[in-house]
Amino acid sequence: MSRNRVSRRSFLQTSLLAGSAGGAALFGPWQHNRVYAAASDKPIRIGLTHDASGQFANSGQAEKRGTEMAVAEFNEAGGLLGRKIETVWMDTETNPQTGTRVAERMITRENVHFLVGAIQSGTANAISQVAQKYGCIYFNTNSSSPTESGKNCHRVKFVWDGNGENFSKAAARNAINSFGKNWFLIYNDYVWGQNTNAATKAVATEYGATVMEEVPIPVGTRDWSSVLLRIQQANPDVVAAAVGGDDFKVMRQQVRDMKLDRKPAWINNQQDWPDVYGLGTDAAFGVFGTTWYHYLDLPGVADFVKRYKERYPTTRIDVPGNVTYNGYVAMRELLRVVQEVGSTDNIKVIKALEGRVMKAADRMQHHDAVIDADSHQVQQTIYLAQGNPKPRDDSDYFEILSSSDPESIRSAAGKECKLESYADTPNYDQG
Amino acid sequence: MLLDLIPHIINGLALGLLFALLALGFMLIIGVMEVINLAHGSLFALGAYVALAMMAPDGGLPFAFMEPYYALPAVPRYLIALVVGPLVVGLVGMGLELCLRRTYGSDPLYGLLLTFGAALVLEETIREIWGSSEYALPIPRGISGGFIAGDLIWSTYRIYAAVFAAGLIGVLWLFLNKTPYGAVIKAGAHDSEMVRALGYNLTRLRLLVFGFGAALAGIAGIVMAPIWGIRPVVGVDAVIPAFVIIVLGGVGSFWGAVSAGIMVGLVVALTAAFLTDWSLLSMYLLLLAVVTFRSRGLAGKSSVLEA
Amino acid sequence: MDYDIKQTTAWVTGPILLSLVLFGTMPFWIEAVGLYQYLGVEVLIWVIFALGFNLLLGYTGLPSFGHGAFLGIGAYAFGLAQFEVWPNLWFCLAASVVVTALFGAVTALFLSHRRGIYFALMSIAFGQIFYFIASKWTDVTHGEDGLLNIQRLPVELGFAQLSIRDNAELYYLCFAIYAVLVIVLWRLTNSPFGRLLRAIKQNETRVAFVGYPVTLYKWAVFTLSCAIAGLAGGLFAMAQEGAYINVMSLQWSGIVVLMVLIGGGFVSFWGPVLGVALYFVARDVLGAYTDTWLLWFGLMFVVLVMFKPQGLAGIWQDLSRRRAAERPGRTASAGMEG
Repeated sequence: MSRNRVSRRSFLQTSLLAGSAGGAALFGPWQHNRVYAAASDKPIRIGLTHDASGQFANSGQAEKRGTEMAVAEFNEAGGLLGRKIETVWMDTETNPQTGTRVAERMITRENVHFLVGAIQSGTANAISQVAQKYGCIYFNTNSSSPTESGKNCHRVKFVWDGNGENFSKAAARNAINSFGKNWFLIYNDYVWGQNTNAATKAVATEYGATVMEEVPIPVGTRDWSSVLLRIQQANPDVVAAAVGGDDFKVMRQQVRDMKLDRKPAWINNQQDWPDVYGLGTDAAFGVFGTTWYHYLDLPGVADFVKRYKERYPTTRIDVPGNVTYNGYVAMRELLRVVQEVGSTDNIKVIKALEGRVMKAADRMQHHDAVIDADSHQVQQTIYLAQGNPKPRDDSDYFEILSSSDPESIRSAAGKECKLESYADTPNYDQG
Repeated sequence: MLLDLIPHIINGLALGLLFALLALGFMLIIGVMEVINLAHGSLFALGAYVALAMMAPDGGLPFAFMEPYYALPAVPRYLIALVVGPLVVGLVGMGLELCLRRTYGSDPLYGLLLTFGAALVLEETIREIWGSSEYALPIPRGISGGFIAGDLIWSTYRIYAAVFAAGLIGVLWLFLNKTPYGAVIKAGAHDSEMVRALGYNLTRLRLLVFGFGAALAGIAGIVMAPIWGIRPVVGVDAVIPAFVIIVLGGVGSFWGAVSAGIMVGLVVALTAAFLTDWSLLSMYLLLLAVVTFRSRGLAGKSSVLEA
Repeated sequence: MDYDIKQTTAWVTGPILLSLVLFGTMPFWIEAVGLYQYLGVEVLIWVIFALGFNLLLGYTGLPSFGHGAFLGIGAYAFGLAQFEVWPNLWFCLAASVVVTALFGAVTALFLSHRRGIYFALMSIAFGQIFYFIASKWTDVTHGEDGLLNIQRLPVELGFAQLSIRDNAELYYLCFAIYAVLVIVLWRLTNSPFGRLLRAIKQNETRVAFVGYPVTLYKWAVFTLSCAIAGLAGGLFAMAQEGAYINVMSLQWSGIVVLMVLIGGGFVSFWGPVLGVALYFVARDVLGAYTDTWLLWFGLMFVVLVMFKPQGLAGIWQDLSRRRAAERPGRTASAGMEG
C-alpha cells in the first residue's frame, strides 16, 4: 500500500492543503477561517493508561516512553489534522479496579479521543470494557494474553503485541529439531500461563515431542529450588516455561545461579526488555520470543534508537526494547490513521484500522504486519532470540536466531473472538 | 521413590533455615515490644538495596566519590555490604521506633497500623530512589554457581545462605541466653516493668531492640537478594512468611519460630515438588491446622497481644 | 478512646440527614467540582463496605486484615448468579449477600474465639487462602483476566423497570441501598446488641464473665459484616461490569483498614464514610499530578496515627467540643455524634 510510503511531513502538508481547499470550496473564506480556528484551538487528547506501580510498573513506564515519543514526533511535525496532540496519563497500577476507574475518568472527565496502553491482561480487559461501553478506541499495546484478541476481544480494542500462542508456535518448532523430543512443561497457574502452555503443548506434540510432565506453578512463587530439583530428576531435553512477571525474574535468578540454563534447553515464552535490561549481558536466559530488537539489521532501526536516546537521555533503560517499540508503533499508527480518515470518529477510524497492512520496512520488522479484521490482533513478525554469547556492547543482550512470518505462527485464539457489531458500538467522537 | 525424596528434604531444610532467618527480627520485635512490625518487609528490601549500592556502581546511586571504593575486589565489598546494610537499616528502624513511641500504652493495633503506613512510605521511597526495575545483587564468585551431589546440581549460594542463617540463629541464641544484654531483653519480653525495676532504661532498651530487629531484617534482605532478586515489592514476599512463621511458632518463642520456619520450609519444598499448584497455599493450610488445635501456635505463651 | 456514650433513640439524626442530602445530590454537583460520576459510584460502594467493616474494627475492636476477600467473593457470586442462574437484580444481590455471609460464617467459626493480634493474623491467613483459591480456580473466577461482562441489571419494581446502565442511574441504586443501610446500622449500633459489641471491645473477659456468650456475638457480627461486604461486592461487580481478584489481596485489605482509621472509625460511626471519601478523592486528585501520591498518603497516615489516631472524626469532635466550650449554653450535638 503506497499510503504508508508517503513521508509524514509531506502527507501532512497534502492533507492540510486538501482540507483547506475543500473548506474554501464549500463555505468560502470566512467560514473556512472559522472552522480552522476552532479546530486548531481544541487539541486532540489521548489518554495514556500506562502502569507506574504494581507488578508491571517498569514495563508500563517503558511503553509510555514509546507512546509519548510518537506523539512528540507528530507534534513537532505539525500536529494532527492541524491540531496539537495532548496526552493525559494516569497510573493504572497494574490493577483492573484502577483501570476501570481511570478509563471512566479519561472518557467522562478528560474527554480523551482515544485510549492507549496496557501490560497486564486483567487491567487491559477492565479498560476495554469501559471503552467499549462508550465506544472509545483503545489500543492494548503490550498485553500478550491470547484471550485479549480471543474471547475477550472488543470492537474498540486493538492488540499490538504478539500473543503467548504466537511466541509458543515460533519457539516450539525450532526447539524440537535443535534440542530434542522430551519436554517438561511448567507454567504459571493463571489464565495467560494456562493458555500459553496449552498452545505450547499442542504445537510440541504436533511436531512429535513427548510431554514428560506438566507442572502448574502458583503465581507468587518465590522458591523454585524444588521445581528445579524435580526437573533434574526427570532429566528432559527441553523445559518450556510459561512463567511471567516477578515469578519469571525470580526463576531466572535461581536457574542462572545454578548454571542450569544450558542443559536442559529452556524455552521461555517471552522476555520483555525492561525485565532484562540492567542485569548484564548474560541476563537473558533460554530461547524466547520478542517482537523487536534494537540491533535488528534493518533500515530505520539505528535512527529510531538514536531518536530515542536524544529524547530520553537520562532514563536507566537507554536503548528502546520491545515494550517501548510496541508502544511507539501502535501510537504512530493510530495518529496516521486519524490523519488519513481526517476525523476522530470512532467507527471511521476502526474501519480504517481493520485489515490494515503495515509495511515491514515501516515497522522495522522483517515481514509485513496486518491488523486482523476479525480479532483486531496485529499479526506480525516474531523473533526467536537467546542470550548473546558475543555482545558487541553493554546493551547487546540478545542474539536473534530467526524470524517467523506472521502467517506461520498465526494464533488460533482469534477464532474465539466475536466482535460486537458496528451498530452495537456506540458512536464516539470528542470532536 | 524414597531416594528421590531425600534431595527434597535437604532442600526443604535449607529453605526452612532461610525462612527462620526471615522471621528472626520480626520475632524479636514482637517478643519485646509487642508490636507487629508490618514494615519488616520494607526494611528487608531496604537492606537489599543498600547492599546493592555497596556492591555495584549501577546500584542506582550516582555517587562519583565512591568510584575508588568500587575498585575494591568483590569479597571485601560484600563483607562491607554485610555490615553497612544492617547498620543503615538498624538506624531507620530506630527512627521508626521513635515514631512508634507515641502509640505505646494505647491499643496495640495502632502500632501495627503505624508500621503499615511506614511500610508504604519506605516502599515508595525506595521506588523514588532506585526506580521500579529489577536488580541483581552481585556476589563473590566463591559462593555463586552450582555443585554436583548425588547426580543433581545444587546451588552453592543456597547452601551458603542456609549455613549463614543457621550460624546467625546460633549467635542470636547465644546472645539472648549467655550475655547480660540478652537477659535484659528476655526480661523485657517477659515483663517490661521488671526491667525498669532492675534499674535499666526501658526506653533505651526498646530503641535498641527495635534497631536490632530491623538490622536483622536488613541482613535477611541481603542474604535473600541473590535468591529472590531486588525490586521494590520484594518486601511483601518476606513479610508474609515471617508472619505465618511467628503465628505458627507462637509469639515470643525463639525455638518456636525456628522450628516453625523449618516446618514451613519442609512443607513448602515438598508440596512444591509433588503438589506444585498447592505450594503457596500449603503454608496457610499448615497454619490453620496447627492453630486450630493449638491456639497459641507450637510454643506460644499468653501475651498482652491477645487483649 | 471510644465512641460518645450518649445514646440516641432517633432513627434519623442530623448527620444521617446531612449525609443523605450530600450523597443524594452528588450526581448534580460532582462534575462541577471537577470529578466524575463513576468516582461517586465507587465512593458510595466502598462507603457501604467500610460501614460494615467498621462494625468489626471500630465497634467490636476486631482487626480483620483480610476483609477485602469477602467483597471479592460477593462480586464473583453476583457474576456467577447472573450467568448461571437468573439474571435478576434482586436475586443476584441476594445471592451476593447470602453466599458471602456463608463464607463469612464458616470463617468466623475459626476466628470468633480469638482476639487482638491473633485475630488479625488469622484473618490475614483466611484472606490469603481465599485469594489463592480465587486465583487458582480459573474455571470459576477466570483468574487475573477477571469474570467479565457482568451486566448492570435493570431494577425490577413490579410496576416498573428502571435501567441502571448509566453511572448516575447506578449511583442512585447504590444511594438507595446506602440510605437504608445507614439507618439500619445506626439503629443497630445504638441497640443493646451494639452496646454489647462496644463492651466486648472494652473488655472481652469482663463481658464473658457477666455471662454473655461473647463468642456467639463475635461470630454474629463477623458474619453480618461479611454479608454487607458481599452486598458491596455485588454492587461493585456491576459498577466495574466485571469481578476482579485484586480487591482480595492483602495489600488492598490493609488499605481498607487505613481508610477507615484515617476517617476515624475508632471513635465515630462516620469515620469510615469520611475516610473512604478522603482516600478516593485524594487518590484521584493527587494521583493525576504525581505518581508518588501513595508516599504522601502513607506519610500523612503515619503522622495521623502518631498525633491523632482518632482520625478525621476525632479532629472534628475536638473542634466541635472546643466550639461548644466557647459557647456555653448550647450543646455540642451538631456534627459527628456517636
